[in-house]
Amino acid sequence: MSIEVNGEAHVLDVPPTRRLLAVLRDDLALTGTKHGCGEGACGACAVLLDGLPVASCLLPVAAAEGLAVTTIEGLSRDDGSDLQGAFVAEDALQCGFCTPGQIVSATALLASVARPTRDEIRAAMAGNICRCGAYPKIERAILRASGQDVA
Amino acid sequence: MKPRLVKSQREMEGRFEDVWVLVDEEDEVETWPDDAELGIVGSPTIRQDGPVRASGAARYTVDVQLPGMLHALVLRAPLARCRVTALDVDAARAIAGVRAAIGPDAPLTIEGESPLTAEPAWAGDPIAVVAADTPEAAVAGIAALAATFEPLAPLGLEAGLAEQRFTEEPRENVRGEPDAALEGADVRVELTFETPAHVQSPLEPHAAVARWEGDTLTAWVSTQGMFDARRELARRFALAPEQVRVISEYIGGGFGAKQGAGVEAVIAAELARATGRPVRLALGRHEEQVVGGRRSWTRQTVTLGARRDGTLEAIELAAVVDMGVGGWVFPVAEPALSLYACPNVRTMVFPVRTSLRAQNAFRAPGVVEGVTVLEQAIDDLAAELGIDPLDLRRRNHVDRDQASGLPYSSKRLLDCYDRAAELAGWESRAALREPQPDGLLRGMGCATQIWWGGGGPPAHATVRLDAEARALVTTGIQDIGTGTLTSARMIAAEELGLPLDRVFARGGDTLPNVYSPVSGGSMTTPAVMPAVRSAAGKVRRILLSLAADVLEIGVADLDLSDGRIRSRDGALDVDVVEVTGKLGNATIDGSGARGPNPDGFRVNTFGCQIAQIAVDPGTGVVTVERVVAVHDVGRIVNPLGASSQAEGGVLQGIGYALSEELVVDPTTGYPVNGHLDDYKVPTIADVPEILVDFVNTPDPNLPNLGAKGLGEPPIVPTAAAIANAFAHATGRRASAIPLTPARVLEALA
Repeated sequence: MSIEVNGEAHVLDVPPTRRLLAVLRDDLALTGTKHGCGEGACGACAVLLDGLPVASCLLPVAAAEGLAVTTIEGLSRDDGSDLQGAFVAEDALQCGFCTPGQIVSATALLASVARPTRDEIRAAMAGNICRCGAYPKIERAILRASGQDVA
Repeated sequence: MKPRLVKSQREMEGRFEDVWVLVDEEDEVETWPDDAELGIVGSPTIRQDGPVRASGAARYTVDVQLPGMLHALVLRAPLARCRVTALDVDAARAIAGVRAAIGPDAPLTIEGESPLTAEPAWAGDPIAVVAADTPEAAVAGIAALAATFEPLAPLGLEAGLAEQRFTEEPRENVRGEPDAALEGADVRVELTFETPAHVQSPLEPHAAVARWEGDTLTAWVSTQGMFDARRELARRFALAPEQVRVISEYIGGGFGAKQGAGVEAVIAAELARATGRPVRLALGRHEEQVVGGRRSWTRQTVTLGARRDGTLEAIELAAVVDMGVGGWVFPVAEPALSLYACPNVRTMVFPVRTSLRAQNAFRAPGVVEGVTVLEQAIDDLAAELGIDPLDLRRRNHVDRDQASGLPYSSKRLLDCYDRAAELAGWESRAALREPQPDGLLRGMGCATQIWWGGGGPPAHATVRLDAEARALVTTGIQDIGTGTLTSARMIAAEELGLPLDRVFARGGDTLPNVYSPVSGGSMTTPAVMPAVRSAAGKVRRILLSLAADVLEIGVADLDLSDGRIRSRDGALDVDVVEVTGKLGNATIDGSGARGPNPDGFRVNTFGCQIAQIAVDPGTGVVTVERVVAVHDVGRIVNPLGASSQAEGGVLQGIGYALSEELVVDPTTGYPVNGHLDDYKVPTIADVPEILVDFVNTPDPNLPNLGAKGLGEPPIVPTAAAIANAFAHATGRRASAIPLTPARVLEALA
């Protein structure tokens, strides 16, 4: 089996039903993507599959074959994205455990809507739980990263 | 004077104990006055570890991977009470990749009670453990155990109350003559109300990785108390503390649930010793939700007696607490005893034993539950008397702790009421009751916050300044997401006169043996930050003394700020590296210890929140539209981090008020919603406008910084304010939270 992660091809000897999250974390040591619930209910494991956000804890690795997987590590190259800078500047994280998933989901949102409204942000990000409650600042960070007023 | 040991008191979540404190006069620094011109402290500052957390590079306990590491899984009781009738440990050991399987009968090397049992007493009680090369092999090993059970009836709450099946003696606390005062009161109100089991649900579950090297144990533990974990592991494995190193660098939330080593670290270390391999034990999500812990369900009856003018004459509280199999009885009666001036109070707390895990701490344990009910009764009294709810609270304001008779070190609650009312538009509250164009029912409610948060000794810090004028602050802080390491960095930079980027604060490792307390009780800022400042102050004094020698000028004529050493006459202005550069490989070191709090005071935090909500009478859906949170926690070190703490507390309070409730099946005693899709924590779509403000005045009686803790306060009054807004909007009082659509429709029927 071969999958492409962050632009690099990896040939793996794993069962095709192993979840993509387990492959990323345990086989490829890309531990930025988190296991929050294993049930697709929290968003901590979000990665991009050809640019679309998916819950990697539910996805058999075979389903990712032939598609481009992007993880938080892929988004963090070259000092990271404007979005990551905005998360830091707005204090849009506390314990930080959900943050990679938040940034992945927000990256997908900004790729499809350049200047999302608050309602669009809430709709797109509602699948990403932040138990610390950084939500007000996550909203601000996404507005800031998309060049909008953060009053 | 030489350093000396002094007997003092330490407070943790309202429990006081005597401790010996190392007092060194050299630790004493002048408290920054209210109007001090501080360059860093008090300015919004981004997290020191923000970039590493935002990049995914932060390594949490669950991310630790070691060569040869095994994966451990626990077999847990699927019923609240049962007997294990069969367990095939040999079959588990025969599974390919399984390296160890331990059942309840196996002799363990650890001291004390085995965490494994053949007679589970609570839902999720550990029965057996398996360690394997891969997670899949561990799952196969657990399946091969082929455990069978004889079910036993779970211990129910109501039966437990009737049978007086308590985890400890019920507590009664009486002040004055409550019976006579209630009898003679002009007005009485009574409210019975239930609060739910509330699950901390940290996104990183409880987890540990253990590795032995000879007789030394290294344990990565997702814990709020790494020094407690070190002590516990040393005791369990009969080691000296220095033979145990606990690393808790990044912790994916705790909220009170992650104390000490936990069963996870004890089992992981036992399995690692048995197999000679490192072992990781991380709870799955369902395990976390069922056995990670919870704020206990309560049913409270509050009776108030008052004069016509609103003066409280009597408070009576009877609280039934579902303890599970044990745990601390948290201070659910504290609000009745201390929130308002009242000469006659009786509180009774009945800790009922049931078949859930022992209750544990969840952000402001006990006080959230107590405030949630008492503050609704206070609103009922206000309605009965026709007095504005905020005015009623102002009339019963108290400036001393009534249990001890001691004055509060500072209390700016009246300022909180005024500011919250202003931000919320309290004066136009009545207009919300008029028919609304969207057909919703609107209301606004308030509630008062009390908590401790004064911190105290012991807490230590060291500061080391090198030749490049970079300062390393070492603490024993485990930063669970509160940003306390960032605060330590700010305090040290301010005191040292260095820019932030020359200062780095570290914690999360017991190896340096620099102690800080558990990250709980709102005590990290008030306990540790004075020690950081004292340590930095010593380094500053040494540095200025060296500068005086190097620059051939009197030390009294020198000042240090922004990384520059200047003479007071302005003639000299050099980079601090001009002095430190001569150190070569030497460093300037300073250590600081937190001194005792002053005698003769109680140190508490206060605040007021006001919630505005909308209720859809057709669907029963409650929407929180705005929460105003104004708190008095003394000096604010980092306004950016403080506002984040407050918002997070409010949001957890909203979950408690509207959607979070662990539901237990009475037949099995097992929770039915132990997952994140059915245990509903707030999402970004549930967030109202949240307006946060602080009194931000240093506590004049708290030396060094005048800062108190902020972890707990913001969750305390939120649910009560929402419940009071509900009563204001609908004219009805529900009988329980969370205010789910079903409960709302029932209340409106």
